Amino acid sequence: MDFAELTTQPVDVTSVARRVVPPDCGATVTLDGYARAFTRRKDGSTRETLYLVYEAYEEMALKEMQKLIEAAKKDFEISNVGIVHRTGRLEIGETSIVISVAAPHRGAAFEACQWIITELKRTVPIWKKEVYADGEEWIEGTPAP
Amino acid sequence: MTISVLFFGATADAAGTRARAIESGESTVGELVDRITNEIPGLSRHKLLFSVNQEYVAAETQLEDGDELAIFSPVSGG
Repeated sequence: MDFAELTTQPVDVTSVARRVVPPDCGATVTLDGYARAFTRRKDGSTRETLYLVYEAYEEMALKEMQKLIEAAKKDFEISNVGIVHRTGRLEIGETSIVISVAAPHRGAAFEACQWIITELKRTVPIWKKEVYADGEEWIEGTPAP
Repeated sequence: MTISVLFFGATADAAGTRARAIESGESTVGELVDRITNEIPGLSRHKLLFSVNQEYVAAETQLEDGDELAIFSPVSGG
């Protein structure tokens, strides 16, 4: 089963990974992306983040995630993809995204998972705000198409 | 025609709102976005992307009554 979901609740990585497992597959590659405390800035300094806030354009984000799943299934030898992205406030270390890709063989699953996260960061309308001790900043990614 | 305009993240902060109904005489997305960025100077500090009815579109796209236009900065999910 494929799925693309948004949730404000903590994400259980293992249960996402198990939901994509079909009988014709031998491997699932799962990305567990989580909130990082220390971010290296372009000037080389590091800044400590206290917590993150993610905001989504929900309807469009779900559509764009679905498109990524369909495109990945066309381009890679994979069977199922599940994507769950959390929104709202996240503490440091909490999971913000899980991408699980099940495939008959692991190589395609690794490649597809890497492709999906790269594209998601470019196209899916979700934004991250880093909150610091002395301020906050909406992070701007690399522009989409 | 009436266009429903949505802002998110940095653009919502700059606009001071998340949603606004705008009467538009402009016929394309680019023209309306230009007008909005003139009215809300804070928006021009950002690179802006836009979508109509939840699809990325080019600036030349024609607007239709009732369209949902979203204006946002480059995405940063993941």
